[in-house]
Amino acid sequence: MILHILNRPPSHSRVYRQALDAMAEHDRLLLIEDAVTGALISQVEHFQSIAGRLYVLQEDLVSRGLDSHCAEAAHIVDMEGFVRLTEEAEKTVSWY
Amino acid sequence: MSLPSSGSGDLLVILRHPPHGSSWLREGLDVALVAAAFGQAVSLLFQDEGVLALLKEQQAGPLGQKGTAATLDMLAMYDIESLYIDAEALNRFGLHADTLQLPATRVDAEAIKSLLNQHQQVLTF
Amino acid sequence: MASTEIARYLSLENQHIALDPEGYLVDLSTWSPKVAEALAAEEGRTLGAEHWEIITVIRDFYTRYEASPAMRPLVKAVAQALGPEKGRSVYLLRLFPDSPAKVAARLAGLPKPANCL
Repeated sequence: MILHILNRPPSHSRVYRQALDAMAEHDRLLLIEDAVTGALISQVEHFQSIAGRLYVLQEDLVSRGLDSHCAEAAHIVDMEGFVRLTEEAEKTVSWY
Repeated sequence: MSLPSSGSGDLLVILRHPPHGSSWLREGLDVALVAAAFGQAVSLLFQDEGVLALLKEQQAGPLGQKGTAATLDMLAMYDIESLYIDAEALNRFGLHADTLQLPATRVDAEAIKSLLNQHQQVLTF
Repeated sequence: MASTEIARYLSLENQHIALDPEGYLVDLSTWSPKVAEALAAEEGRTLGAEHWEIITVIRDFYTRYEASPAMRPLVKAVAQALGPEKGRSVYLLRLFPDSPAKVAARLAGLPKPANCL
């Protein structure tokens, strides 16, 4: 399993599409920094194809006042959760 | 579209940025060269606007920024010969294989997944 | 990388050749075979025909690729130009002890190899 880490939102950059294309069946995607807006109810449809494997970093949601706008389809993880995701992955690939 | 024949190695460098305008492409190529100089098996994947880096007839920039052409030619001297290009991006920009400076294997999403899987490490630029 | 900082000058006949802190030329166009000989003499090296072959190869490499080679590509370039007997790191180490890619680049008036061990 590869953990893909994305820091650009789908509203701004096409890089999320390359990340999705590169994701194998069990790979996971973590949204961090500006990419957390991708977890908003209005945006999360971009990540339909990886339902259940979408994660979003809590501290970046909170700092933007977005935690209450986050779609249920995205698993919210704190820093410990981020570390655990990294540990569970064979490798990480960053997309920015 | 065929899967890359070998498609494995120590390091996959993904190049997503075009020449000039930013230093992303040059930095990515530098990382690839350093790794290869240390004996690592390095592959390159040109994606999104990064496919423009493979175009023929590139020149130095108006401010004297180095062009990419000489560095691309140099890759073979560092034994970096596994080059892959995202077929979707190539089509999106309306480019054909004969407009590229170096031969690169066209890859689709499935082949890209296996490239990521078959390299020890993946770095994106 | 080429440095623009002048640390000292190499005096040669009527010329003063600016060198950076690591002894590489600041202005690559000031190079001549005499400069190479003077740089080599400073280090107690004498350049023979075998050295000049390598210096020619490395200058050709720089002209073509706009960069000084690290050790591996230098070995490959030498093999292509001069044959497999000379395209070996032991051969280059004998001619330019310590670090052939760095020493040969310096004597050839080129920047220090950027991606070198």
